[in-house]
Amino acid sequence: MTGDVLAFWGLALLLVGSALAVVLSKNLFHAVLWLALALTGTAGVFLLLEAEFLAAIQLLLYAGGIVTIVVFAIVVTERLVGERISQTSRRIAGGAVVAAALLGLIVSAIVERPLAPAEPSIGADLTRTIGELVQTRFVLPFELLAVLMLAALMGAVYFARPDD
Amino acid sequence: MVDTGFFALAALLLHAFAFLLLALVPPLRRRGRPAALVSILCAAGSLAAAVQAWRTHGGETISRLVWDWLPAQGQALATVGVLADATSTVMLTLVGLVALLVQVYSLGYLSDEPQPALGRYYTYQSLFAFSMMGLVLSPNLLQLFIFWELVGLCSYLLIGYWYQRPAAARAAVKAFWTTKAGDVGLLIGIILLWRQSGTFDLTELRVLVESNALPLAGLSVITFCIYLGAMGKSAQFPLHVWLPDAMEGPTPVSALIHAATMVTAGVYLLVRTSWLFALTPDVLQIVAWIGAFTALLAAVLACVQDDIKRVLAYSTVSQLGYMMTAIGAGFAGAGLFHLLTHGVFKALLFLGSGALIHAVGSNNLSSMGRLAKQMPQTAIVFIVGTLSLAGIPLFGGFVSKEEILGGVWESGLVGPFVLLMIVAFLTAFYMFRAVFLAFFGAPAPAAAGHSHEAPHAHDPPATMAAPLWILAALSVAVGLYTFFIGPGPLGEAGGAAGAEVVSPAWLKPVAVGVAAAGILLAWLRYERRLVDPAVFASALGPIYRAALAKFWIDDLFEGVFAAGTLAFSRLVGWVDRYLVDGVLNALSAWTLTAGDDMRSMQSGRAQDYVYGVAVGLLVLLLWARWALA
Amino acid sequence: MGLQAYLTLAAVIFCIGLFGVVTRRNTIGILLGIELMLNAVNINLVAFARFHADVTGMIFTVFTICITVSEAALGLAIVILLFRIRRTVMADHLDLLKG
Repeated sequence: MTGDVLAFWGLALLLVGSALAVVLSKNLFHAVLWLALALTGTAGVFLLLEAEFLAAIQLLLYAGGIVTIVVFAIVVTERLVGERISQTSRRIAGGAVVAAALLGLIVSAIVERPLAPAEPSIGADLTRTIGELVQTRFVLPFELLAVLMLAALMGAVYFARPDD
Repeated sequence: MVDTGFFALAALLLHAFAFLLLALVPPLRRRGRPAALVSILCAAGSLAAAVQAWRTHGGETISRLVWDWLPAQGQALATVGVLADATSTVMLTLVGLVALLVQVYSLGYLSDEPQPALGRYYTYQSLFAFSMMGLVLSPNLLQLFIFWELVGLCSYLLIGYWYQRPAAARAAVKAFWTTKAGDVGLLIGIILLWRQSGTFDLTELRVLVESNALPLAGLSVITFCIYLGAMGKSAQFPLHVWLPDAMEGPTPVSALIHAATMVTAGVYLLVRTSWLFALTPDVLQIVAWIGAFTALLAAVLACVQDDIKRVLAYSTVSQLGYMMTAIGAGFAGAGLFHLLTHGVFKALLFLGSGALIHAVGSNNLSSMGRLAKQMPQTAIVFIVGTLSLAGIPLFGGFVSKEEILGGVWESGLVGPFVLLMIVAFLTAFYMFRAVFLAFFGAPAPAAAGHSHEAPHAHDPPATMAAPLWILAALSVAVGLYTFFIGPGPLGEAGGAAGAEVVSPAWLKPVAVGVAAAGILLAWLRYERRLVDPAVFASALGPIYRAALAKFWIDDLFEGVFAAGTLAFSRLVGWVDRYLVDGVLNALSAWTLTAGDDMRSMQSGRAQDYVYGVAVGLLVLLLWARWALA
Repeated sequence: MGLQAYLTLAAVIFCIGLFGVVTRRNTIGILLGIELMLNAVNINLVAFARFHADVTGMIFTVFTICITVSEAALGLAIVILLFRIRRTVMADHLDLLKG
C-alpha cells in the first residue's frame, strides 16, 4: 500500500501545485499549460482509483481537446488584439477568503463523516462494465450526449464564424 | 281612537310631503315664492289635521299607529309610528300653529331675499316642521332620537341660513356642537335604558314602570344621561351658550325653533318620560336646581343685552329653566303648561322684534326709541307679549307661571323657589326695559346716526302683521281662559303627565307684586330716568360687567375647548410631523441609499455574480453548520 | 488511501478553481477556473464510485467530461464572439447583464 500512498501524495502535490499555477500565473499561455498538467494529474488519480477507461478519456478529451481549443482561442484573440494577453487578477483577498472559508467548511464536513477508509475490491473489469452499462441502462443519455456534442460543435462554429 | 292617530299622522306627513316636493323638484324650489306657497298650504293643512287630532283625542286614551321597523326574533326591535295622546296632540297643535304663522310671516320678512334662497328656506322649514312633529309623536325613544337629531340638523341649517356671514356660520356650528354634546348623553341613556328594559317603546316602558318591573339599579345614570340630551336641546346651564348665538339666524327661525318648538323639545322629552324620572328623585333635584340656576343666570344676562333678539334669547333660556324647575319639582304638567303658553307669547315677542328689526334695520335697542308712534300695531302686540311673559294677570303666562311657582313651593324646594321669584322680578324688569327703550323714551344718543332711519319706520305688511295679531289674540285668550276657567284643555294635557298643583293663597299677589315691582323699576330707570344710571351702574357694577361678559362662561368654554383642541392638534401634528413623517422619511431615505448601494452590486458582470453565489454558498453552509446543528 | 483523502483533494482543487473564477480578469482565465472546478467534481464522482463499488458514478464522469468539453468549446466560441463585439476579453469590462 505504501506505493499507492506515495503515488497519491505525489499526485495530490502535483494537482494542487498545478491548479494554483493555473489561477495565479500571469501568462495565459502558461496557465493553459499548467491546466494541461493538472488534467493529466487527474488522469493519474483516476488510474489510482482503478478507473483506467476514465483516465484514458481524461487524457484524450480534456488534456487533448480542451487544451487544444483553449490554445486555439488564445491564439485567435491575441491575433485579433494584436498584443499578448497578460493575466491580471482582481479582488484577490476577497476571493481568497471566500474560497478558503468554503474549503474549511467542506473539509471539516468531510472529516466529521465516517467514510470508508479503504477501497473494496472489485472483481469485474471496470471498463467492460462501463461499456455494457452505457450500451444498456444508460443508452438513452449516451445518445443524447452525442446530440449535445453535435449541437455544441455547430453552435461553436456558428458563434465563431467570420463576420459577413 | 284611530281617528286621532290618523289625523296626527296626516299632520306629520303633510310637512314631509312639502319637504320632499321642495327638495326633489329644484325648479320649484328655485322659484321661491311658489315653493313658499306650497309649504304654507301644507302647513295649513297640517295645522288643521293637528287641531282635529287634538279635538278628537279621547282623554286618557292613547291612539297608537305603529309599524315594525327593525325586525328581530320574536318581537320587532324597533317600530315607527305615531303615538297620539293628550300631551303629544296639544304639542302637535302648538308646533303646527307656530310653524304655519312663522311661514306666513317669513313671506313678508324675507321678501328681499333672492328667490332660490327663499325656496331653500322653505325647504328647511318644512323639514323642521316634519322633524319636530315626528319628535312629538314618537311612540318610542329610538324614533324620538332620530327626529331629535333631525331637528338639530334643521336648527343648524336655519341658523346658518345666511351662511355668507361668518358669525352665522360660527353660530350654526356652535349650536350644532353644543347640542350634540348633550345628544351623546341622550343616546347613551336610551341604549342603557334599552339594555335594562329590553324595549324602546314609551308605552311598554310606562307599563313596566307602573308595574314596578323595571330594575331601579343604575336608573339614575340613565335618567341623568337622558337629561343631558334635554340639557343640550333646552339650553340649560352649562350648555346654554349656543342659544343666544343662534340669534344669527333669521328672526322667524328664532321664533319657531329657538323659542316655541325645538328648544322646548328637551322639556317635552322630560315631560314624556316624567314617570321614569319620578323613580329617580335625586336626578329630579339636579334638574330643578340647574333649571332654577339657569333661569336666574339667563335673566341677569338678559338685563344687559343691547341686541333685542339676545334679550329674548336669554329670556327663552330663563323660561326654559322655569319649565325644567317645574319638572324637577315633580310637576311635569305645570312645565308643559308653561311650555305651551310660552310657545305662543315668545313666538309673538320674537316675531314682534322681527318687525322692529325689519323697520329699523338694526338689532340694537340703542338704535331704537319712540317707535310706538310709528309702529302702533307692533307696539301693542309686543306689549301684550311682554305682559304675558312678565306674568301679569289676564295675560298668557300668568297662570302657567304661577302654577310652576306653586308647584315648586309645594314640593319644598325653597332654594329654587327663591331663585325663581328673583327671576320673575328680573323678567318683568328686562322685558320692560326693552319695551321702554324700543317704543318710548328718547332715542339714545348713540343712535343719533341712525335717527334718520327711524322716521321711515312703519308697521309691517299684512303677511307679517296677521301672525302677530293672531298670536297676540291667542295670548290674551289663553290668559283670560286660564284665569277665569282654569287650565282647561291645556292643563289637561299637563294633568296627564303630572300632579295637580295646589298653590298657596299668598302666592298670586306676591307673584304679581314682584312682576309689578320689576316693571316699576324699569319704568323709573328707563322711562323717567329717575334712577341715576351712574348710581345704578355703581351699585351693580361687578354684576353688570360680569353679565356683559356673559359671566365668562362662553370664554371659559372657548378657552377650554380651544386650548384643549389646540393642544391636542399640536400633539397630533407633532406626532404626524416627527413620528409618522420621520419614520416614513427615514424609511424612504434608507430605501434610497440602500437602493443606491445595492445598485453597485448589480454590476452586470457575470463574475461578480459568481462571487455573490460563492458568498451565498458560504453563508448557507455556515448556517447549516451552526444553526441547524 | 481513504475516501476522505480523495474528497479533500477534490475540495482543495474545487476551491482553487473557484478562486480563479472569482479573481481572473481574463474571460479565458475564468474558463480555466471552471475547468478546474469540474475536474474536482470528476474526482469526487470517481472516488465515490470506487469506494462504493458502483460503476454508475464513473459513467456519470464520462458524461461530465463530454459535457465539459462541449461547454468549453461553446464558452470559447462565446469568448471569441464577445471579443468581436466588445473588443475585449476582460471580464470586468463585460457588463452586458446590466439592464
